[in-house]
Amino acid sequence: MLRFIARRFLESIPVLFVIATATFFMMRLAPGGPFDAEKQVAPEIRARMEAHYGLDKPLFQQYLLQMKHLLQGDLGPSFKYPGRTVNEIIADAFPVSLELGCESLAVALVFGLAAGMMAALRQNSAWDHVPMALAMIGLCVPTFVMGPLLISAFALHLDWFNAAGWYFPRDRVLPALTLGALYAAYIARMSRGGFLEVLNQDYIRTARAKGASGARILFKHALRGGILPVVSFLGPAVAGLLTGSFVVETIFGIPGLGRFFVTAAFNRDYFMVMGSVLFYACFVVVLNLAADVVLVWLNPKLRFE
Amino acid sequence: MALLTVENLRTAFHTRNGVVRAVQDVSFQLERGETLGIVGESGSGKSVTCYSIMGLVPQPPGRIEAGRALFGDVDLLACSHRQLNRIRGRRISMIFQDAMTSLNPFLRIGEQLIEPLIIHEKITRAAATDRALAMLHEAGISEADHRLKMFPHEFSGGMRQRVMIAMALITKPDLLIADEPTTALDVTVQAQILELIRKMQKELGMAVILVSHDLGIVSGFCDRVMVMYAGRVMECARTDDLFYDTKHPYTRGLRQSIPALQMKGEELHTIPGQPPDPHHPLPGCPFAPRCEHAVDYCAREEVALTEVAPNHGSACLRVQREKLPV
Amino acid sequence: MVIVESVETAGGASFWQDAKHRLWKNKLAVFGLVVLCVLAVLSLAAYLRPSMTGYSYEQQNLALGPMPPSHAHWLGTDPLGRDLLARLLYGGGISLMVGLCATAVSLIIGVIYGAIAGFAGGKLDMLMMRFVDILYALPFVIFVILLMVFFGQNIILLFVAIGAVEWLTMARIVRGQVMAIKRQEFVEAARALGLRHGRIIFRHIVPNLLGPIIVYATLTVPEVILLESFLSFLGLGVQPPHSSWGVLIKEGAEVMEEYPWLLIYPGAVMALTLFSLNFLGDGLRDALDVRGSKD
Repeated sequence: MLRFIARRFLESIPVLFVIATATFFMMRLAPGGPFDAEKQVAPEIRARMEAHYGLDKPLFQQYLLQMKHLLQGDLGPSFKYPGRTVNEIIADAFPVSLELGCESLAVALVFGLAAGMMAALRQNSAWDHVPMALAMIGLCVPTFVMGPLLISAFALHLDWFNAAGWYFPRDRVLPALTLGALYAAYIARMSRGGFLEVLNQDYIRTARAKGASGARILFKHALRGGILPVVSFLGPAVAGLLTGSFVVETIFGIPGLGRFFVTAAFNRDYFMVMGSVLFYACFVVVLNLAADVVLVWLNPKLRFE
Repeated sequence: MALLTVENLRTAFHTRNGVVRAVQDVSFQLERGETLGIVGESGSGKSVTCYSIMGLVPQPPGRIEAGRALFGDVDLLACSHRQLNRIRGRRISMIFQDAMTSLNPFLRIGEQLIEPLIIHEKITRAAATDRALAMLHEAGISEADHRLKMFPHEFSGGMRQRVMIAMALITKPDLLIADEPTTALDVTVQAQILELIRKMQKELGMAVILVSHDLGIVSGFCDRVMVMYAGRVMECARTDDLFYDTKHPYTRGLRQSIPALQMKGEELHTIPGQPPDPHHPLPGCPFAPRCEHAVDYCAREEVALTEVAPNHGSACLRVQREKLPV
Repeated sequence: MVIVESVETAGGASFWQDAKHRLWKNKLAVFGLVVLCVLAVLSLAAYLRPSMTGYSYEQQNLALGPMPPSHAHWLGTDPLGRDLLARLLYGGGISLMVGLCATAVSLIIGVIYGAIAGFAGGKLDMLMMRFVDILYALPFVIFVILLMVFFGQNIILLFVAIGAVEWLTMARIVRGQVMAIKRQEFVEAARALGLRHGRIIFRHIVPNLLGPIIVYATLTVPEVILLESFLSFLGLGVQPPHSSWGVLIKEGAEVMEEYPWLLIYPGAVMALTLFSLNFLGDGLRDALDVRGSKD
C-alpha cells in the first residue's frame, strides 16, 4: 500500500510541473498584461512597475525564475491587490472554499447515496421513480439557475435565509444545496446502478440462503460493491465541485478562492492565476490519491495488482 | 413424519417474451438423513424447484403460483419472511454451482464463514471463529487460521467449494441442498467434493438434495433419484430401482447416454431432438416428440406422476396404463 | 442467477430492430426525441429566417424596454427591448450547434484514442490510460477558462476547448469496448480464418462500438451545453450580440427579481432540452443494452 502511494506521488510531480509550465506560457503568450486596465498610468510608471515585477526580462528567464520561486513555495505578489502576496490571499480564501466544498460534498453524498440505495432496493416503484426524477432535475438545471431560484424561493419569499454572504452558519445552507445538487444527482444515478448490479449477484443470493436479514444484506454485503462507482467518481466530483464553486461563490457573494481565481484570470494577475491553478491541481491530486486508496481498500482484488 | 414434503409446486416466470412455466406440479418427500438426487437437463426446472423451496426465486419476474413445501410444520412457501430467515442457513442450507461468484469477493473468508453463526446463534465472534476453524479443518483445508484472513479469489476452485460447504454446514442443518456443486470443477476434484459431502452427511445425519444434470454422479451418491424434464417429474424411485427397473423412456435414454457405460468403439447413444420451448409448451407429455414409444394419446393427455410399483413413481402414460416395459 | 437458459427472440429480429423496438416502447425516450426534433426544426428555421418571429434576435427597441409576455412579444422583452422568443430560438440554435460540434470533437478524439489504446493493448495501452486517468481528475475546466479568457472568444475555440474536456470518458468507454470485443471468440474465429487486421476492425469491431458511442454521444451533448452555459455565465462563452441559452440565463439571472420571465423561459427551455437529451440517452442505453460507467 505504501509503495502504491509513493508511486502515485512520484507520478504527480511531473504532472504538476507540466501544469505549471503550461499555465505560465499560456498566460504570457496571451494578449494583454496585468497593467492594461490601469488606464491612468503613464507609460514610464507602467514600465517601472513591470520591471519591479520582473516582467521586462526575457521570457525564458522569467520562466526559470518562476519555477525557482515555486519550488520555494513562494507564489509571488498579487497585482490586483498590491501589498498582499498570493500566499496570503490563498490562505484567507481557501478555507472558505474548502468549507463550502465539504458541505456540498456531504449534501451530495447523503442525498445521493440514500436516493440511489432506496431506488435500487425498491426498483420500479415510487421510491425508484421519484428520486430518479429529482435526480434528473438536478442534472438538467444548471447551478446558476438553481442558485437564484433557491434564493428567490427561500431567501426572498420565505425569508428563511439571507440572500448572500457567508457570516452565519445558516448562510451555508443554500450554497451547499446549490452546489451539491448536481453531484447528488450523479451520485444517486451511479449508486442506483451500482447497487442494482450488486443485488443481482450470486453472492447476494448466498447471503439470503444463509438467512441474512435485508439490512444485513444491504450494509454488509451490498454496500461495498454498490459504492464502488461512487468512489471512482469522487476524484472528478471534487474537481467539479471546485469549478462549480466559481459560480456559487459569485452568486452568493462568498469570498472563496474560486472567485479570486476567475477575477485574477480576467485581470491577468499572473502570479495569482499561477498560484491558484497549482494550488487546485495539488489539492485535486492529493484528493484523487485518497479516493484511489479508498477504492483499493474497498476492493480487495485490486490490492494484488 | 417426513422432513420435507413438497406438494404440487408450481413456479412460473413472467418475462417480456411470455410466461415460462419452470416448475409444473412437482411433488416429493424427503425423510431425515435421506439423500435425494434431482436430475435433469438445463431448463428442466431442477434448480428452480430448489430455489422455490428456499425462497430464492426473484419475485418480480418469478412467481410461486401454487403448492406447499412443508418443513416440519412450517410451509416455507407461505410463512413470513422472518420465519423463513430463521430456517434458512440454520436448518436448511444451500450450496451453489459456482463458488467464485457465490462468495462475496469483498469480504474475507473468515467473515463469511462465521456469518451463519452470528445470524442464528448467540455466540461471540471468538467462539464463532473457533468453530469456523474446526469446520475448515473438517472440510480438508489446511492452514486454516491463515486462510481465514484470505479473500475468495485467492483460493482454487475446489477449495472455494470446500469453503462453501463448510459455510453451509457450520450450523449443522437438517437439510443441505446442493445445486450442481461439482459441475464447475475438474473431474478429480469432483470426486473429492462429493466425498466431503457424504462424510459430513454421515456425521451430521442430515438429509441432502443433490441437483445435477449428470445421472452418473447422482446414482453414485443418492438413496433416491428424481428425474425432471420440462418442469415436471418424470420418474422418482430408489436409485437401484431407477437403474435396473427403469419405468420411463426418458430415464432410459439418460441412462444409456452415460459415456462410461457404453461399449468402446460403438457410436455414442444420444436422445434425438431438443427439449421443448418453455415459452410454447405443447399439450400432453412433454417428452412425447422425442419418445420412441409415444402413441397418439401421449401428445394429448395431461401427465402426472403416479406410483407404478412400490415406492416407484412414473409419469409415463403408457407405463401407467399398459405396464409398458421400458 | 440462472433462470431459464433457452429464451428465443420472437421472429428472429436483428440487434438493431430489437433495439429500435425497445426504444419505441420507452415513452420518456420517445418524448425526448420528439421535443428535440421540434426544437431543432424551430431553431433551424429561426436561424435561416430570423424574421420568422417578426423580430430579429438582435433587434433592439430601447423605447419599449423590458416587458412581460404580451400579444406582440409572446415571451416578453429584455431591458434592451429585444424580443425574448426570437433570442431564445436563435440562442437555442447556437447552443445546440455548440453541443453537437463540441460533442463531435470529443467523439473524434475519444474514439481514435480509445480504439488505439484498446486495440494495441500492453504497455502502450497502459501509458495512454494512465494519461487519461490523470487528466480525468484534474479540473480541466480551469484550463478552459484560462484558454477562453486569454485567447479570445472565438466560437471555434469554444468547440475545441469544450470538446477537449469531454473526450476522456468517450476514450475510456471505447477502449473498454474494444478490449472486450477483442477478447470475444468471434474475433479469434476471424483471425483463425486468416482475415487481415483492417477487415477485422471494420467488419467486426466497429459495429459493436456504435452502440456505446451513440449512447455516450447523446449523453455528452447535455454536458457540453451545461459547460457552455457555465462559461457564458462567467462571460467567456458566446458573446453578444449573439445569444445562447447560457447568455440568456446569465442576463436573466441578473434581473431576476424585477423581470423573472427573462430567467424562467430560457431556464425552462434549456432544462427541457437537457431532459430530452438525457431521457433519449438513457432510453438508447437501455435499448442497446450498453454497459459501461453504469448509471
